[in-house]
Amino acid sequence: MSNKKLYSMKLIFCVPALLAISACSSLGVEPWERDVLAKDEMQLVTDPIEAATDDHIYFSKEASSGGRGFGGGGCGCN
Amino acid sequence: MAVADSVVAVVAVINQKEGSPVIKKKPKSVSKALATATCALLGTTAMPVQAQEEPAWEFDTSLLYYSEDDGRVQDVSIALLARRLFADDKILTLGLTVDSLTGATPVGAAPLDVVQTITRPSGNSTFDVAPNTLPLDDTFLDTRYAFNASWQQPLGRLYNGNVGISFSKEYDYVHSGVNAGISRDFNKKNTTVSLGFALSKDDIEPIGGTPMALTPMLDVGDLSNRLGNETKDVVDLLFGVTQVISRNLLVQVNYSYSDSSGYLSDPFKILSVVDPITGDTLPRVPTPGVDGPSHQFLFEGRPDERVKHSLYTQAKYYMSGKVLDISYRYMTDDWDIDSHTVDARLKFPIGNASYIEPHVRFYTQTEANFYRATLSAGEPLPLFASADYRLGNFDALTAGAKYGWKTGSGHDISFRLEYYMQDGDVPSGQLIGNQLQRDMYPGLNAIIFNFSYGFGL
Repeated sequence: MSNKKLYSMKLIFCVPALLAISACSSLGVEPWERDVLAKDEMQLVTDPIEAATDDHIYFSKEASSGGRGFGGGGCGCN
Repeated sequence: MAVADSVVAVVAVINQKEGSPVIKKKPKSVSKALATATCALLGTTAMPVQAQEEPAWEFDTSLLYYSEDDGRVQDVSIALLARRLFADDKILTLGLTVDSLTGATPVGAAPLDVVQTITRPSGNSTFDVAPNTLPLDDTFLDTRYAFNASWQQPLGRLYNGNVGISFSKEYDYVHSGVNAGISRDFNKKNTTVSLGFALSKDDIEPIGGTPMALTPMLDVGDLSNRLGNETKDVVDLLFGVTQVISRNLLVQVNYSYSDSSGYLSDPFKILSVVDPITGDTLPRVPTPGVDGPSHQFLFEGRPDERVKHSLYTQAKYYMSGKVLDISYRYMTDDWDIDSHTVDARLKFPIGNASYIEPHVRFYTQTEANFYRATLSAGEPLPLFASADYRLGNFDALTAGAKYGWKTGSGHDISFRLEYYMQDGDVPSGQLIGNQLQRDMYPGLNAIIFNFSYGFGL
């Protein structure tokens, strides 16, 4: 990877990160208010096998993949 | 044979439960670059894991049946995901999937009002396609084994890191990959910033060799335009922010970058060469005494690099017992494919131990800039061309529901049934003569059935 590309990547990652952190500092809950957020059904991925299965189905049938994570690759199906 | 259109399952999964995957160990220079880039932070979307309160081992198992109509692809898949929870929130995750694929898949050739004979991808024999029928290769048969492993652990009070590997093997395709990620919590753990990357190397080893791009399909036994095995490398980067908005609302935004290079064509896909006036595929005469194609077909050819950018956002909202999970993804790439995906599910509790979860997903994409339904004999050969319907312009809809419950002993059981359909069009400017009266774009209708069983030891 060239130095120029690396520099661009630093910008891409750092700037949004800093913006997000500062913008989000006023949001959220206190530690004792996490009862609902701690529930299994409030996790971002509640069923990892189902999520992986779907990623793979759509990876093999559509031209897009990933987004939530690294999606569905590693097969000769696409 | 291989896998031209499969549906496999699982894998690459790893730490999805925590929201972001990742894993690995990798060349120093890249780690360093990434570390610098992330400045100070990054984290998986990791939610706190209550390791000490849970069983040491957790197992999720799944049986998938995926079935396309008209005798197309069928997949039976068994998946196992095991998680070992250690003290201090360290987690080992192991995944194993076995897929068994059968059925037929579109080869890319156009329908015609006479019988067409096509050489199989192996170059060993031919098959016939009935008049006015979408050409399908029915020798679609493969078994795929996929394995992945990951390790996740806190790194100090605010950081969390993970590394992992993935491997899969089909008859004519081998994948191996590594991945890694790190995350950092801010604002009383209400904000988590994460960064991950994955590298993979795939080997494509079709029987008979990979065909040279845009060269003719030849008679049985003539492999003169075949090359040896090919490889594909993929680099994925993911940057995400997860934010607790309120006691009931959680939001995640991810940007991901993916760079694929190497052999990105499908060695089993072809295009018909047609008369520029009638649009009918031009006939061809096999060498006397030898079986071969009855018409003129060229093997497809795609660029050897593809860069994709995705923006993904997801929200989870708790509404007095019900949970709404909604996500949107925008993807764009340098093949000029743009796609939008909206996914929504709503989990309703039924009594204390069971639930039902309706799910809808809408997807739409534009065609790749080298997508061609057919190639006209009257024009110069393009640099790249593919008639693969998955690179075309189409919409897709998924609708279904999951029903699940917790047993008296704390095991989770669920059934899911969904219907998936695709409907697309060939750009009208590409249709010639008789093609206007034919169904030139293969739709797709499929059933997805899942049985899942989860338990702890």
